[in-house]
Amino acid sequence: MPVFKTPFNGYAVKFSPFYESRIAVATAQNFGILGNGRLHVLDFSTPAVTEIAAFDTADGVYDAAWSESHDSLLVAAVADGSVKLYDLALPPPQNPIRSLHEHSREVHGVDYNTIRRDSFVTASWDDSLKLWTLDRPTSVRTFKEHAYCVYAAAWNPRHADVFASASGDCTVRIWDVREPNSTMILPAHEYEVLSCDWNKYDDCVLATCSVDKSVKVWDVRSFRVPITVLNGHGYAVRKVRFSPHMRNLMVSCSYDMTVCMWDFGVEDALVARYDHHTEFAVGVDMSVLVEGLMASTGWDEMVYVWQHGTDPRAP
Amino acid sequence: MAANPPANSPPPKPWENAGGTSGPAPFKPPSPGSTSDVVEASGTARPGEIVSNTTTSVVNRNTVGRPMPARPWEQSYGTTGYGTSSYGGLNNGLSYNSGYGGYGSTLGTVGMYGGGGMYGGGMYGSSMYNRGGYGGGLYGSSGMYGGGMYGSGGLGGPMGGYEMGGMGGPYGAQDPNNPYGPPSGPPGFWMSFLRVMEGVVNFFGRISILIDQNTQAVHLFMSALLQLFDRSGMLYGELARFVLRLLGFRTKPRKVQQSHGPPGALPLPGPENGHGSQYSIEQSKAAPAGGWDNVWEK
Repeated sequence: MPVFKTPFNGYAVKFSPFYESRIAVATAQNFGILGNGRLHVLDFSTPAVTEIAAFDTADGVYDAAWSESHDSLLVAAVADGSVKLYDLALPPPQNPIRSLHEHSREVHGVDYNTIRRDSFVTASWDDSLKLWTLDRPTSVRTFKEHAYCVYAAAWNPRHADVFASASGDCTVRIWDVREPNSTMILPAHEYEVLSCDWNKYDDCVLATCSVDKSVKVWDVRSFRVPITVLNGHGYAVRKVRFSPHMRNLMVSCSYDMTVCMWDFGVEDALVARYDHHTEFAVGVDMSVLVEGLMASTGWDEMVYVWQHGTDPRAP
Repeated sequence: MAANPPANSPPPKPWENAGGTSGPAPFKPPSPGSTSDVVEASGTARPGEIVSNTTTSVVNRNTVGRPMPARPWEQSYGTTGYGTSSYGGLNNGLSYNSGYGGYGSTLGTVGMYGGGGMYGGGMYGSSMYNRGGYGGGLYGSSGMYGGGMYGSGGLGGPMGGYEMGGMGGPYGAQDPNNPYGPPSGPPGFWMSFLRVMEGVVNFFGRISILIDQNTQAVHLFMSALLQLFDRSGMLYGELARFVLRLLGFRTKPRKVQQSHGPPGALPLPGPENGHGSQYSIEQSKAAPAGGWDNVWEK
């Protein structure tokens, strides 16, 4: 299985929606506390992972998202508060093609709209989210209701105007870009909510994960009580993603250094636990093009790509 | 974006052809058009709005039911419950029995270790115990902001130095409104200092965010550390002096310790003769220190 060692600590990994053997990896020096960042684009079509491109930044890169409209475009969320657009078709000196400075604090999450394919939303530690489109040099609008850092945002896979945001104020908010305020507030956890994602086969089902070590699955139509609570991680759960292929399958990664696969539809929900990382596992993704293909990265500076059910460390 | 390849589309998503949902969704039907058009038509567009971090909670819909802590990088020194009052009182360096906060504060008191003070006092204490005290130990007890540094920079938060420059501070001789004037010189000491301090604030902000997300891990680590030192009879303050001594600093004895010493056993050494640390070293040997007995000996 492909393995790649990055010079900096990994923060996020994302599969390309266009090429099945291409991933982007966001990394930050010194665990993202102080120093530079680098955005890697890797190809693992051959047994040896090749680096297609690497873009250096003056501050850590906390997240990345592939464009859904151009196969060579990707967006980086940078810790200096900027949002940078890169074009793989251009030589490195001409990149980034755009650097958007509006957030006043670290940008921690970015997600690309998969339906309209012309916009993305960023989540920042300045408590706000911003909506950007490729045809505008500035953000289209700002969403500011959260009372603490916003860590992640996720577009609804079936509603082009709806996205969710996860914040350290212990809530998840659901937004409609046409509405002035959030349309729903989920007091999802007792502690900080670090990530959220929508179910790809049920547009009302949302997963959240938190410092309280749990992953919760919610139906936004009756959000007083979660559908299920998945316990199994030993420390804060950093990221959660629904499978693009199976309705009930989801994956999470945690500060307990493991990546877990869950089936929230059954009682014994933990399907698999991968402990291949030797430091905090903070980035995980599932391929939308190849069923069962997963990727993860962590503070051990390693990027793993593997098929579910196999050993990520296997050569 | 002229140099981009022509717009194309990724392969269809696996879920696009799947059946619908489990019922009617509580969302408005989608609007036609591009995102920019849709947002502008809705009247909610605010192009390029800059968020001031201190005034974000315009609509406070905090459903948490408890006040949220101040962000690590925006301290309100002493004005709230998170300010220096909660932990600053531990700055006397004698608060060994006050738990974790005392440890950090003791380090912080020495002044040399901004990070040291922050680590034990503010961050650990705050994040472990209801996240109350970001301010106190984090910056308060380190004393780095005590001198009104940010007070003078208050014109624009961390960037206050710039405004000050335009008003004739470091750049006194220049006319800020003359575009044909000489190029500005290198940043002055205070501007550089402010920038460095901004970096420090960023650094601590990220550290504390991480610690906040890793409370259990930090708790385990600190518990193990404290247990270790408790078992060996070392007090936190002595640990701090030990670290400082490793770094080449010599610390002065304290009067409290003198009262604990054997009456008349030792002369009171002057701070300049280098025996000050020796004195406290011998005091620490009185503890039931087991295998640590020789740690202090040169």
